[in-house]
Amino acid sequence: MGPILIMKTKAAKRWIDRTIITFMAALGVVMLLPFAWLFSMSFRSPAEAYKMPPSFLPPSLDFKNYWAVLTSSIPFLQIYWNSVEVAVLVTLGQLVTCTLAAFAFARLTFPGRDSIFFVMLVGLMFPAQVTIIPIYLGFAQVGLLNRPIGLVLMYLTSSFGVFLVRQFMRSQPKALEEAALMDGAGYLKIFYRISLPQLRPALSALGIITFTQTWNYYFQARVLLEPQRAMTLPIAMDLLRGYLASGNLSVVMAAMSMAVLPVILIFLLAQKLVIEGVTMSGIKN
Amino acid sequence: MQPPTRQTKSDLERVQRRAGYLFILPSFGLYAVFVLAPVILTFVLSFTYYDPMVGSRWVGLENFERFFTGDRSLQIFWNTLCFAIFAVAGNVIVGLLLALALNRAMPSFLLYLFRLAYFLPVIIAAAFVSIVWGYFYGDDLGVINYYLTRLGFAPVHWLTSSRTAMMSIIIMDVWKNAGFFMIIFIAALQGVPKSIMDAAIMDEPSYWRRFFRIILPWISPVVFFAIVYASIGALQVYESIVILTQGGPGDATRSMSIHIVEEAFGSFEIGYGASVSVIMTLIILIITSIQLLASRRWVRY
Repeated sequence: MGPILIMKTKAAKRWIDRTIITFMAALGVVMLLPFAWLFSMSFRSPAEAYKMPPSFLPPSLDFKNYWAVLTSSIPFLQIYWNSVEVAVLVTLGQLVTCTLAAFAFARLTFPGRDSIFFVMLVGLMFPAQVTIIPIYLGFAQVGLLNRPIGLVLMYLTSSFGVFLVRQFMRSQPKALEEAALMDGAGYLKIFYRISLPQLRPALSALGIITFTQTWNYYFQARVLLEPQRAMTLPIAMDLLRGYLASGNLSVVMAAMSMAVLPVILIFLLAQKLVIEGVTMSGIKN
Repeated sequence: MQPPTRQTKSDLERVQRRAGYLFILPSFGLYAVFVLAPVILTFVLSFTYYDPMVGSRWVGLENFERFFTGDRSLQIFWNTLCFAIFAVAGNVIVGLLLALALNRAMPSFLLYLFRLAYFLPVIIAAAFVSIVWGYFYGDDLGVINYYLTRLGFAPVHWLTSSRTAMMSIIIMDVWKNAGFFMIIFIAALQGVPKSIMDAAIMDEPSYWRRFFRIILPWISPVVFFAIVYASIGALQVYESIVILTQGGPGDATRSMSIHIVEEAFGSFEIGYGASVSVIMTLIILIITSIQLLASRRWVRY
């Protein structure tokens, strides 16, 4: 009786597993429908844009709509370049400033170290809303308003980045660094030659989070970048919609497809890193 | 022997101190300029009436009074809290259900696909997906209403009725963010020791009773963290609303963030805008400190 009962419950359990997995697969497809619609729409001809039923697979691979975006009256390439510039510079900047600071907080002793670190951690609690007004007024005075480089300056460092790299560094052994110190190496050399190579996992996580986050900034960009030529992609999408939507939905979706492409590519190529990174940025406390 | 050693030791300390300050200088300097100073200035501005021509004038608590007595601002305050409560509940509950469903043995390619499907919306900008959802929610040409009418239901005014607009935005928010909480909860569920799970299966044959009696208490610190984290994000809600409804119909979906931008940069009511952002920050600080206090208690427990 015993083994049969166990076999029975095992079979039942397997059946439950399969049902749930099938259900989750169906739900997963539904989750992806908005993206499927967006891509397929970008290939629909303007005349068919509003035709029902909606399509979730591209009817043909005709890049006319993409060409229409690039030749429209909106400086799309300039806007795209702004987004690339902001995201790349912010990412590189954060990798440098955060690692330098993290090295000091994790490996060096100096008076006030822990209180300074604490003050930086407090920064995690302030939303962009509470810093934007003085930054706007200040940028207006020094001529940084309506320039993408202003957005870059704002985000050249982050409390979260410092915290992330410091935590990672503290989990690494410091024997090599101490040995190098004994040999009389300077701190900059130790940092550059010994600590930095060990930090690769933390740095790739930080790089990926920072890039996607910066690519997606909306609130700050909308306040600080008003003219079309200064915009980044998220705020320009709204503009495109206003300009083109009445005429052509497919063209808007072609622009959108280009705008989401870098983040989707990163995600497809480095899914594990992205998920780890984004969740780490959540569990910062 | 003694003096030279002390000499080198203090030398070393001096070098290390200098290196320490130099290494943190870029980061801390930028932090001071772009976070600390602006936060302090916003607090000061919130007590003033700011005029770009004349300068600012101290008005005490007038701005705060205006926020908490105006009908419009009170509705905006209520909208924001309402959005936060339902979006947080939706995200945490759906995230937990997804985690429970996916926390089982399966081939790794399936896991990859599931993570792809459920996590992709998390990393795509709200500004982008909101535009797509805007078309899904359309009244006449909307994708959802097309299928509703095909199935014989009446079309829904997703974004154009003040009764449903906020709910539609919350639904999109849950679609977008639940995957994030799912990942956190999967990690938490996998942290439950096997001995506890085995004992639980013996004690409680019913799955849901086992879940509520044993598993949920075990992962409760993570659930609590998720609630706090979700609340902080939800209170700042901005672009999804701006793109889907521009705060309308009327003021039905206007949030505090939209109010700040409109007042401070649209009407140039700098002082008042600052006070609204201070109120938002204070709510966030309170929620965060509750979490800090509670997590300390949990650790002791």
